[in-house]
Amino acid sequence: MVGLNAYRRDNFEHPTVGLLVVVVLALWTVTAIWLYRDRRRRTPLLLVADLAVVLAALAVTPWVKSPDFNATIPGFYVMGVFFAWAIHWHWRGGLVASALIAAFDLLPRTEVDQGNYGNTFLVLIGGPIVGYLCESLQRMARERDAAERAAAAADERTRLARAVHDGVLQVLAMVQRQGSAAGGEWAELGRLAGEQERGLRSLIRQQDTVPTEPGGRVDLAGALEAMATAHPVRVEVATPGGAVLVDAHVAAETVAAVRACLDNVLAHVGPDATAWVLAQAAPEAITVSVRDDGPGIPSGRLDAAASEGRLGVASSIRGRIEELGGTATVDSGEWGTEWELTVPLA
Amino acid sequence: MVSVMVVDDHPMWRDAVERDLQAAGHEVVAVASNGREAMARFPAAAPQVVVLDLQLPDSSGVQVTSMMLEHDPTARVLILSASGEQADVLEAIKAGATGYLVKSASSAELIDAVVRTADGEAVFTPGLAGLVLGEFRRIADGPADDPRDQLTERETEILKMVATGMSYKQIAARLVLSHRTVQNHVQNTLRKLQMNNRVQLTRWAIEHGLDEA
Repeated sequence: MVGLNAYRRDNFEHPTVGLLVVVVLALWTVTAIWLYRDRRRRTPLLLVADLAVVLAALAVTPWVKSPDFNATIPGFYVMGVFFAWAIHWHWRGGLVASALIAAFDLLPRTEVDQGNYGNTFLVLIGGPIVGYLCESLQRMARERDAAERAAAAADERTRLARAVHDGVLQVLAMVQRQGSAAGGEWAELGRLAGEQERGLRSLIRQQDTVPTEPGGRVDLAGALEAMATAHPVRVEVATPGGAVLVDAHVAAETVAAVRACLDNVLAHVGPDATAWVLAQAAPEAITVSVRDDGPGIPSGRLDAAASEGRLGVASSIRGRIEELGGTATVDSGEWGTEWELTVPLA
Repeated sequence: MVSVMVVDDHPMWRDAVERDLQAAGHEVVAVASNGREAMARFPAAAPQVVVLDLQLPDSSGVQVTSMMLEHDPTARVLILSASGEQADVLEAIKAGATGYLVKSASSAELIDAVVRTADGEAVFTPGLAGLVLGEFRRIADGPADDPRDQLTERETEILKMVATGMSYKQIAARLVLSHRTVQNHVQNTLRKLQMNNRVQLTRWAIEHGLDEA
């Protein structure tokens, strides 16, 4: 700018004053850069002063050059303060600064040509847009920082929870072990500790398999685990590890069918029975097996019940699974009774 | 009599396991409370079976398992874990552990598991069988691999039975097989899983240029 104004000093009616204005602008630039460097000095006062210097340079142009000047003394130097305002006060700052610059640029002119109009248009549209972009960037940075902090806090909580759970599980397992060895009332205490231990372990596994996928899909393994833990029959659940994501409706119906199987175990084998639930997941279908350690169903009894039209639980299990397009088969022997529920994932 | 090493950071547990094993006539040749101690004492003690907690203060049970097996491939590692962290259990098995037991198992179950592990038998819980089935499913769904990596139908059938809580004896009776055959099938599944793990590790090493070092 200094060079350009020096080269075109013939355009100045008052070259000395023009030189002075340019030197003041150069000095102000150095001062402003130093002032802007420190965040504490970036006050509204500084921004207003910066704009005032530029506007003053614009305002004196007709007198220093000539009333029918072409370029203003600061020229494109105005962009500096314009960006400062947009960055600091976002789109509002950008708009105010660009409007003032445009007004001070246009008003002293005797005539406005195509070029002046184009520059003014760019300044007016650029101010708010640059301001808006800065605002978005700053907001995104803040959100990212917040998300990173939240993730770090969650990780730390999980780590602490692991340590606490591990300790609690150790103690519960110990109480269960020593209690059953000591017998009597201690054995009962041990049994209670065992129940709590299974419940806690199941909770931890469910927490590990919290679904992350949106869109009505839920974790079948976790849902089975939760239902089995709450069921009065002692149930051991085996899952493939990790979440088994299926439609919420499929999960709800499958869990209900498995619950019906377990109710059946409670009714026919009794409260001391143990049941095992195995969930398997293939891309095309899920399979849930439910086995109990009861004496099994005498052969022909299911068929006899069916022909007498009183199938009760068995039909409710079959009904739910067939509704989902799947199959439910039951097998029985000395080793107990096993239901196998297969549901296609289409 | 089996010579056993017990690695657990909870003194209360270490003592209880040690007492139970000694009461059953087995010898506890070493104890350790963290991975560093375990690796320092393991070579000299040369136990038949290592009873290993998965959560150790300085290193994971998975790391300790692979270091021990690297040092002595005939060593047998039985994982004894409180929390049943699924991923860790599976990793330890892939690293070469041949058994897994939850800590709430009774002392009779623990001693039985130690004896079976010493005999080279794979000690499964239903939960572990479910995880192994899931892992083979993931291998099968992955890029086409060696068919030797896949489970046979019989192996899948037997693992499913283990996962629904059946004992080897019950499985043998149900499938009209010998007890030994059922054991062999179960051991094979672990061998395949460990083999697949080694293949994956080697492939990874080659892809990352570690074989040239």
